[in-house]
Amino acid sequence: MSDLSPVLRATGLRKNYRSGDSTLEVLRGVDLAVATGESVSIRGESGSGKSTLLNLLAGLDRSEAGELIWGVEAAHQLPLGELTARRGRFLGMVFQSYYLIPEIDAAANVLMAARILGGVGAVERARAAALLRRVGLAERGHHLPAQLSGGERQRVAVARALMNRPNMILADEPTGNLDERTGDEVIQLLLEVCAEEQAALVLVTHNPAHAKKTNRQLFLKNGQLDHG
Amino acid sequence: MPWYLYLALKQLFPSGRRLPFFTLISVAGVALGVALMLVTTSVMGGFGHQIRRMIIDTQGEIQVRGRDPLAAATAAAVEQALSSAPGVAAFSPYAQGVVMLEYRSRPAFPAVQGFDPARIRPVIPLERYLTAGSLDDLDDDSVILSSLLANSLGVSPGDKVSVYSPLMLERMKNNEVLLPREVRVAGIFQIGHQQLDSSTVLCSLRLMQDLYGLGHLVHGYNVRLKPGADEFAAAATLNTMLPPGVRALTWFEANADFQAVLSFERNMIFFLLTFIVIVAAFSITSSLLVTVVRKTREIGLLSAMGGKARDVALCFCAQGLVIGLGGTAAGLALGFALLRYRDNLVHLIASLTMGQDVFVKFYQFSQLPAHTEPRDVVTIIVFTLAAATLAGLMPAWRAAKLKPVEALRSE
Repeated sequence: MSDLSPVLRATGLRKNYRSGDSTLEVLRGVDLAVATGESVSIRGESGSGKSTLLNLLAGLDRSEAGELIWGVEAAHQLPLGELTARRGRFLGMVFQSYYLIPEIDAAANVLMAARILGGVGAVERARAAALLRRVGLAERGHHLPAQLSGGERQRVAVARALMNRPNMILADEPTGNLDERTGDEVIQLLLEVCAEEQAALVLVTHNPAHAKKTNRQLFLKNGQLDHG
Repeated sequence: MPWYLYLALKQLFPSGRRLPFFTLISVAGVALGVALMLVTTSVMGGFGHQIRRMIIDTQGEIQVRGRDPLAAATAAAVEQALSSAPGVAAFSPYAQGVVMLEYRSRPAFPAVQGFDPARIRPVIPLERYLTAGSLDDLDDDSVILSSLLANSLGVSPGDKVSVYSPLMLERMKNNEVLLPREVRVAGIFQIGHQQLDSSTVLCSLRLMQDLYGLGHLVHGYNVRLKPGADEFAAAATLNTMLPPGVRALTWFEANADFQAVLSFERNMIFFLLTFIVIVAAFSITSSLLVTVVRKTREIGLLSAMGGKARDVALCFCAQGLVIGLGGTAAGLALGFALLRYRDNLVHLIASLTMGQDVFVKFYQFSQLPAHTEPRDVVTIIVFTLAAATLAGLMPAWRAAKLKPVEALRSE
């Protein structure tokens, strides 16, 4: 772990899924701390709970037990509405299926992150244009998602995740729908821009080569993180 | 612009793409409902307006009536009040009743109204409705018949008809032998109102007073107001000036039952037509619910980006409102266009179906009346916007209820 102060700290996170009378323990007390600017990868078998952990870290779901600290704030104690509002500023997310809004163009998709937090002015437009330029899509800003390739869509999603200058990026198998070469490019880009923006990165991936590119590699097994 | 409104507009009118079928159909549904409500209320209003004009043309804006026939002194007091009342342009006395009319053994029992031919012209524009004969030909031994009554009896101007009054029947009970009054048909009128045209006789006031044995008594006065005068205010003022036992009634009050039926019919038709907009609103709800299902993962994404559940809900409510606004604007444009060309449409339909002559004969109008009240337009707009916005509520509630993590996981 880096010597810098943690931007995210999770302690003893537990998550169960109930189905009828049976209970499936997915996470059994996960501890994780991520420092500012640090990149961490989480690997694990299918169904091991990687996405569940990422959703808990993002505050999209609540854990049965444990603590979640965003910066210095106890996220696990925040009411749902406040948690949602803080999430937009604190972190950005990148998903396997991009989740771009099909009715608006690439630039508007990037700006949507700022729009949700309050409004769009000249500063935000300039930031969106700069981010699109940084991810290599300067000329594609006015293209609709349907007019972009998979790799280009994921680049737009990366730019959108960084739009609000978040403290960290949570990426859930961002290369899952891409071919190997495009996937490598996207991971490389993600690591570079996170480093440039001083944003920590938590990358959930199946790909050992992509995991190796991060500062720290963790493995989720039997509901717990193996810190190696 | 708040993000939920921005997104609502973009989902309805996407950048660089054709108008989605959902938007088109939803707006068209609302527009049709609005257009139909506007056209129907305007045509009903047109009939009401025409009937109002007809009543005023045959009675004046105000009728002054007593419980009993007005004695000479009372009539003089009424005339003095009418002469000094503000807003009164002219007035004329009348007496009315029912008689039996006979022509070649064919009887009829019409209502009869006697008026003073020398004073009637500024109050009631009878000449406008005469289809045969002239008001100048009317004397104390002649009558003017309504068109349908003349048709049913088979009389023409110049023919003589026999008139029996209730007074004659009363005298016959006392074994007095009385012959009916023979009068000449001086003219025929047609108002355009079924009830008035089917069974009405007009005669001089003196003839009516003779038939009913009224002497110089009259039943009341028809009053014409100056242009722009308010009939309700004028009637209220008159009622403070008239002698006891005599009342001034506006045309509306004098025909209150008829007006109530008209108003009820109008409201019922409006009520029934609101269901078109309600059905359109249900179709908006159904389409938006499909959109919520189709965009479940996007809704999860909005939450992941910090979008509050309330704002997600507002996004779908706003879509309902925008569809309502578009539909209302298009519906009003379509409705006013239909009203503008209503006669062409009616004539086209008539010529394609029953033929124009038959249409005019049965429905007694060759031009469809229309009168649009601004109040009705406001009611239609408010109702439609409320229905369309409410239509977005259920989809909005469903969208807001989605848990982000489940929404993002959905297939």
